[in-house]
Amino acid sequence: MQKQLNVLICDDSALIRKKLKNILEVCKCHSIEEAEDGIVAIQKAKEMKPDLIFMDIVMPGKDGIKALEEIMNEDPALKVVMASSAGTQSHLKKALDLGAYDFIQKPITLEAVTAIIEKVIKGEKGENAHV
Amino acid sequence: MFSQYFGHYLLNNGLITAHQLKHALDLQKITHVKFGVIAVDEGLLTSKQVEEIHEKQKQQDKRFGEIAVDLGFLTKEQVDLMLSSQKKKHLYLAQAVVDQNYMTIEEFTNALNEYKRIHSLSNEKFEAIKSGDIGAIVESLLHTNHPEKEGYAEYVSLFVKNIVRFIDDEVYVEASEEKNADAEWLVSQEIIGEKPLWSALAADEKVFLEIASVFAEEKLTEADELAQASVSEFLNLHNGIFLVNMSNKGTELEMKPQKVDHDSIVSVHKENSLCISINTSKGKFQLILSHSPENVIISDKRKENQTV
Repeated sequence: MQKQLNVLICDDSALIRKKLKNILEVCKCHSIEEAEDGIVAIQKAKEMKPDLIFMDIVMPGKDGIKALEEIMNEDPALKVVMASSAGTQSHLKKALDLGAYDFIQKPITLEAVTAIIEKVIKGEKGENAHV
Repeated sequence: MFSQYFGHYLLNNGLITAHQLKHALDLQKITHVKFGVIAVDEGLLTSKQVEEIHEKQKQQDKRFGEIAVDLGFLTKEQVDLMLSSQKKKHLYLAQAVVDQNYMTIEEFTNALNEYKRIHSLSNEKFEAIKSGDIGAIVESLLHTNHPEKEGYAEYVSLFVKNIVRFIDDEVYVEASEEKNADAEWLVSQEIIGEKPLWSALAADEKVFLEIASVFAEEKLTEADELAQASVSEFLNLHNGIFLVNMSNKGTELEMKPQKVDHDSIVSVHKENSLCISINTSKGKFQLILSHSPENVIISDKRKENQTV
């Protein structure tokens, strides 16, 4: 039986959280939690120990890059996928240098999310960026 | 897009009425562009020759191209070439306007030439505009109305392209002289770095909900969190693409989170700002830009009213 993932979505946009949740439900993820900023994401990451986190970069309060840094310090094995509309090379490099598993360009598509989930289930390394 | 743009030029110059423009734009969606219009546009025939062929067509059951060849106006090769151009979208408006007798082909051609002259367009640029090149259209708009603000052209062009990609392909942009926008809903985002830019979209609630619904891909009837998130995400997505374009040219920029204001008045610094009216089939809204975000003032309309 295929492993089912626990996923945490962190995005300040209610629309993105809703759309990503719908996609993850299609992908049959087991448990889907939401966080609307970096502070809540750090807290929820500690509590639920997700298999995968989708993290927006530009957010009020604690942004995604700062949240990524703290999450990686706490648990370097966590898989965090950064999602941004500004997929510049410098953003990509910064995220991967800090230990991000992958990087996806918004708008988020079913194909991009499916590819990442399959990779996580297979236990593959996340060096391939979908920019 | 050129149809929208040139159609409004005809309207603003009193060459057709608002009703005629609307009717022509509706018709052009279903109008098949005829040979005569293409031939005149290509400079292969004069409008007089087209009239002559039309007269002949009333007398004999032959196609336009065949008669043109018979009369020695065109070669067979030219007719074949025109057939391949028959899908040129920019001529749909011309066909609709001529079919409805709002203008003759000659009047339409004269208006096109006048448009080219007024905007000081080279043949190459004019062809680009006629074929719907958004960058060329925006550049021409800013060049004519705000020559000192051509630095905004790249951003505005991308914005219009993203409106076409995500919201509505019937878009027409106009320069606006307003420096104070009265916004029922205002969604703004600041870009920081080497070239700072404050960008905002101001709309009334009806248009705001239309944009939100299209982008969210579901009918939204209230300007609630989801609707606000939808319009915000559209602006964020657009600005993200702009950042990638700038990064590819060697300028690294960052974005701040978007901000939503309700019932506000926006004041921008005249010298460093630009206001563009974006007309779509969903309604009209404003794109406001400023290279000096520190000079942008957003005040609460309700409080302003209380102090009056």
